[in-house]
Amino acid sequence: MTKMKRRSALASLGSISLGISSKGFLVKEKEVAVSDTYKIKKQTLKTDILIIGGGTAGVVAAIQAGRAGKKTILVESGSQLGGTTTTGGVAFPGIFFAWGQQVISGIGWELVQEAVAMNDDTLPNFSIPHGKNHPRHQIRLNGQLYAMLIEEKCVQAGVHIRYYESPTRITFKNNNWTVETMGKGMHTEIQCNQLIDCSGNAFATTLAGYPVLRESVTQPGSLMFQIGGYDFEQLDLNLIKQKYEEEIKKGTLDKYEFRNNVIQILKSQGDNISHVMGADSTTSESHTLANIKGRASLLNTVRFLRTLPGLEKLKIIDVQNETAVRETYRIDGHYLVTQEDYVTGKVFEDAVSYSYYPIDLHDEHGIIPRHLNEGVIPTVPLRALVPKNSRNLIVAGRCISSDRLANSALRVQASCMGMGQAAAAAAVLAHTYKTTPLEVPFQDLRNLIETHGGIVPGLT
Amino acid sequence: MQFKRLVKTLGTCTFLLLLFTGYHRSYTIRYLHTPTIQLPVDTTVFHIVDFGDEVSNDTLLQSLSKEGYPIRYSRAIRTGVCFDNKCRPLDVVLHWNVTGRYLGFELPKKEFLSKYDHEPFTEKEYQRLHELLTDSLSPLGGFYYNEVVPQADSTYNKVDAVSGATSANVLEYVVEGAALTTYKLWHLVYGPTQPKIQALTRQRLSPELLYLILTSSNMNDRMWALNHVQGYVASTPEMQALVLSYISSSNYSLAERAINSINQTDLQSDVLQARLMTIFLKSGHSTKKLLLLKLKEAPKLSTEVADVLRNNLQLLNGELLATTLDLFIQQGSIDLETSRAVSELLVNTNSYVSKMAFSFLEKVNSTDETIKKRLTDYRAKQAGSGVR
Repeated sequence: MTKMKRRSALASLGSISLGISSKGFLVKEKEVAVSDTYKIKKQTLKTDILIIGGGTAGVVAAIQAGRAGKKTILVESGSQLGGTTTTGGVAFPGIFFAWGQQVISGIGWELVQEAVAMNDDTLPNFSIPHGKNHPRHQIRLNGQLYAMLIEEKCVQAGVHIRYYESPTRITFKNNNWTVETMGKGMHTEIQCNQLIDCSGNAFATTLAGYPVLRESVTQPGSLMFQIGGYDFEQLDLNLIKQKYEEEIKKGTLDKYEFRNNVIQILKSQGDNISHVMGADSTTSESHTLANIKGRASLLNTVRFLRTLPGLEKLKIIDVQNETAVRETYRIDGHYLVTQEDYVTGKVFEDAVSYSYYPIDLHDEHGIIPRHLNEGVIPTVPLRALVPKNSRNLIVAGRCISSDRLANSALRVQASCMGMGQAAAAAAVLAHTYKTTPLEVPFQDLRNLIETHGGIVPGLT
Repeated sequence: MQFKRLVKTLGTCTFLLLLFTGYHRSYTIRYLHTPTIQLPVDTTVFHIVDFGDEVSNDTLLQSLSKEGYPIRYSRAIRTGVCFDNKCRPLDVVLHWNVTGRYLGFELPKKEFLSKYDHEPFTEKEYQRLHELLTDSLSPLGGFYYNEVVPQADSTYNKVDAVSGATSANVLEYVVEGAALTTYKLWHLVYGPTQPKIQALTRQRLSPELLYLILTSSNMNDRMWALNHVQGYVASTPEMQALVLSYISSSNYSLAERAINSINQTDLQSDVLQARLMTIFLKSGHSTKKLLLLKLKEAPKLSTEVADVLRNNLQLLNGELLATTLDLFIQQGSIDLETSRAVSELLVNTNSYVSKMAFSFLEKVNSTDETIKKRLTDYRAKQAGSGVR
């Protein structure tokens, strides 16, 4: 066997042609011996903008920053981009249109549109109101295709992607951030001027030392899966329901795990039906627990279902490789978006994007969405994306400063995409003007977002 | 196996139905939307169709105008609404329009729809039924028969009457006391008959007919027509003008379908390309991107369009700029002026833009001295700054 140094191995994989070389960011690099046979590579990188979290918001933020000409690094703890849309399997982003008009466009829409086109899918007719059935306006994507497309877009935008890395320390000095990350065989120090927290858990904000908020009870997560091997129309639904309830009474099944709705599990052949109570992606330990709980409840339920008439051959066709999480920590921002703000469609003076979704709080009883009144389109103020007392730090995604009910609507993917683009645009201008996102000239911010196709509420 | 007989009409539609359905009754209860094409019925064609559903009647009536345009399709439904071997007859005629959209229903004289206790529908309930059947996207489409009719501990009457026997979710979308009747009718309207109707209309599609459907006030009709331009008919100037007006509309879904309806042959026209470019300059970001992608399908990009795009290069953002440069490369007609315009982007303060311009010019490999000088300067600057 030929010995090959790791750097050579990277070169042989074509790291430079794929745009994943750290060359343009590298300040210094050394190898630190851990044992006689193993060394960790320690790198120091320098960039204009660093994004923590390559999920729904982070990807859009990274592309926006890269396309605005900033040196951009994107750190993602998993193996691919897209977060809940891809790894979580909730591959039906929405909602981009409200009351017949597009309210979220720009980079997020571009990504979705390309995934739809490449999979020969058809967009819903957005001119027909969704009524009480808002998923009608969500867009079913091929999740794996989407993961590849967004990665390609990031690379094309010059974004330096770092998978399998997670921040361990964040400090602010001389108007710049230093973020230490650990990854497989890597210990990296990234110096940046602007930091964007798209972790979904306000993780970077926490590490940076700013207070975050959390409810005593959070929304359940969901493990997406697909089952088959039965004919729903031939099933005796009353019998199945009765047997399910018997098992719940005996304590062998937990009614909260599938929204107490065994019929829906079968009807939708799985999909977005599981509820993993207390699912928390904040730490590897808590997310491990959420994954194990999700898989255990699915296995347990499948074993039970296979004992019922007509379901003897029920089989698991697919299961996502992690439990998708709805709610953990939110930042304590300069403004807290309330449910009242949301349902009345308050247009903030510093609104940077729209959001459109029903109030959608999942709990142990299931979900009963509260739809917005006709014509209402909520907005996202810049202040809700900036942790109090911080500088050069902005967040995007579900950790937006908001009360629980407003957050249950703001957290969805299209809204996160809009926020991602807006947050990155603010960070870009903050870097250009050597200031902090909250102090950038608002008209410039509006112009930058709109130049890249985004929609900013209010008059232009 | 399908065959048809052509019959000249002798009078009104009602008369036709009386004559050929064999019911020999007049229709008194009738709920109908206005058909898309409002021309008199001239001819009725009977199609024997294997619908593949439980209704024994295999005849579909196609009412045609003098011009041969399908005005309406009708199917007599004689079946039972059954549960636990107890049945109530359902005797109704369903109507669809030229695109397969639900038009309405009517009942033979002395026939009426009834609820669980044989109580006839009220006027309000007929209206409600008509409204429910009009909703092509009703959640009823997602319900299965065994959800509406649970198998155990139920009777037919309970099914149509009692919420306990029928899924609570269903009740919102059915006429109270007639869940199964509503469910059955909705699935007949949107079941196998609808694609058969659409297939029959496709056989009669002409530019004139498609134009009429495109002018429908109903959005679903227009979308259907836009989905049937490419590959079905050759577009006419009138149709093209209408399609362009839809592309200009603020309705994204309509614009998207309209752009999609333009084919490669249409794009041979420089005039059409120029009109698309005029719309491009005024439209929103999402539509702009679709228009650029559509122009990629053109056999040859017109000089006028290329000029407009070149003159607007400095105004385009990252994604639209990338797509425009891709368009120039893909079209392979990059003149010196275009290359020079792109080379001006090499000094753009946005490194993403200048890098894109550099990549473009490397592919073009121009011999122009100005461009070569700018490229040299760019390379030197990059080498000096150590930029990625």
